Amino acid sequence: MQIRRDLIVGAALTALAIAMIIQTQGFPRIRAMPYGPDLFPRIIAGGLILSAIGIVMEGLRSLRIKAAQDDTQVSPTSAYGAFAFVAIAALVAGFALLLPVMGFHIAAALVVLLAVPIFGGNILLALVLATVAPVVLHYVFYSLMRVVLPWGWLTPYAW
Amino acid sequence: MDILATLAIVLTPKILGTIFVCTLYGAFVGAMPGLTATMAVALLVPFTWFMDPVQAAAAIVATTTTAIFAGDISGAILKIPGTPASAAYVEDSYRLSQSGKPRTTLFTALFASVCGGVIGVAILAYATPALANLSRSFSSDEAFWLATLGLSCAVLVGGPSVPRNFASLFIGLAIATIGIDVAVGHPRFTFGNIELYDGVSFIPAMIGMFALSELLRNAAVGHQTPLVKLTVEPLLQAITAAGRSFLQHWKNILRSASGGTVIGALPGAGADVAAWIAYAVSRRFSKSPEAFGRGHIEGIVDGGAANNAAVAGAWTPALVFGIPGDSVTAIAIGVLMMKGLTPGPDIFNTDAVLVYTIFGSFLIANIMMLVTGGLAVALATQVLRVPRAVLMPLILLLAMIGGFAITGSTLAIWIILALGLLASVMIWSQIPLAPAILGIVLGRIVEDNFMVSMMKARGDLTEFFARDTAAVLGALTLMIWAVLIYRALRSFFQTQTPSK
Repeated sequence: MQIRRDLIVGAALTALAIAMIIQTQGFPRIRAMPYGPDLFPRIIAGGLILSAIGIVMEGLRSLRIKAAQDDTQVSPTSAYGAFAFVAIAALVAGFALLLPVMGFHIAAALVVLLAVPIFGGNILLALVLATVAPVVLHYVFYSLMRVVLPWGWLTPYAW
Repeated sequence: MDILATLAIVLTPKILGTIFVCTLYGAFVGAMPGLTATMAVALLVPFTWFMDPVQAAAAIVATTTTAIFAGDISGAILKIPGTPASAAYVEDSYRLSQSGKPRTTLFTALFASVCGGVIGVAILAYATPALANLSRSFSSDEAFWLATLGLSCAVLVGGPSVPRNFASLFIGLAIATIGIDVAVGHPRFTFGNIELYDGVSFIPAMIGMFALSELLRNAAVGHQTPLVKLTVEPLLQAITAAGRSFLQHWKNILRSASGGTVIGALPGAGADVAAWIAYAVSRRFSKSPEAFGRGHIEGIVDGGAANNAAVAGAWTPALVFGIPGDSVTAIAIGVLMMKGLTPGPDIFNTDAVLVYTIFGSFLIANIMMLVTGGLAVALATQVLRVPRAVLMPLILLLAMIGGFAITGSTLAIWIILALGLLASVMIWSQIPLAPAILGIVLGRIVEDNFMVSMMKARGDLTEFFARDTAAVLGALTLMIWAVLIYRALRSFFQTQTPSK
């Protein structure tokens, strides 16, 4: 329902604004200068609170005219959709954690191996892509573009 | 710098090769449903890191130009616009395709796009130096008002909900405050992480907001591109019919291309807004307005010309003021800054070659698009059969390596994740992304100039209006704020159902 969503968004924006204001209280000031590093973040926090009030007012209006329509595009509509969303986000976090340890080849192969079934591919396709994609991308980024991709566990075989 | 000198720079094998490859890349990404032109450019950025500035600018220009057109392909064949810029006339192009004319429709759109792009770059080449001359005398007051005006325009055209547009803008500005403060050099919101002292790295932020959020949406929604069964005309017959249709509507193209360029120059109003407005204007002046939305070519011609012209228009404020006209130019500014170039009025003195190369690249990319876009139309049904299970994991991997390549640190991947999730929440909350992007890009500029002006004026806000140009820009900004407040209040007190 629109009003519930608007209330959540309004509360989240207000919480963000309050957190910013609390953080700025620790910012230093120079005596000769009337304005410090806290001024701009506080203006932004004020803007966030005003936006939150506006969004909640919009929600109240939609409640009043009973015209609220749920046209969300990203909201996972099924349990699998929710799982796929969380799984992809977890894969990104996993890649960030594993890249320095395992190295690019293994971490990238794992990401592709797990991502292909999430996007509806079969295990054979996953195996083929997980073998080919890291090698090709490593060649493009490491050998051609000179990006220092970590070797991790494969360091003894690095070139 | 004359046109021959410009062409001498652009017509080198390196630049021509870059433009050719990028128009092919743009055609492919733009044609795939759900992959936007902005995402194409965001994924291109890691590669531009290893190019010289001229080549990098040419790559971005060529990719965007073709991706915006190629969005028409999946719109016409699947009724799923490849990019938001094709959404305005998707009903018409789909119905025409279903009636057995997919190639004629797409070639007409291609010719209109090319023509719109060329007109757009002509206006860009003419207007940009004139604006640069005007803006040379700007102080921190004018710079502050100009950036604020840009941000206000982004809120004005961002979406139907004013509070949500404002929320998006302030989220972007809040992200821009992360890092060392300009006034006293104090680290803000870095939570002890030294890598954040320079602020949130711009490119991982863009990749997160545009590429990862799309991937997450794709994973959650789980659409599979339907296989295409379509009757197609012979290629030559389609090109001839499209040529005739193009010539019949030359007035529409002129009108929509010039309008599209101006709309594109407004910060926040990108190719999609230009296409919607051009479509509406076309319907208003058409002899057969009742045919719009039922498979009428006129709206496609107008929308196609306008959205490609807007791509060029968006570069005007980006080059002259450092204020991006749309998300793509926001990324382009980030790329230029990474290469030590600062867009602004002096760019014509300091980096004239680059500016004229951008103009030249637009021209060549549009002409080359006749070939690569035509190829994409001819192979359209095959292009759209690339399985999602192959494409999406590769894009995911490319996005993460792209972020890592820019900073050499896994912090970039965490930024991609954080901003990808933030963008997903914003989409769920119906908060548009474009104002946030402009907030991230312009936040520092606004704050720096605001602080300098505050210190000069010792807190007296009337001093912000003391100089003539600053007063005009300030008055314009305040007028936009007044319009926004009026819109928000009117919307709240309206009793009938709001229109979408």
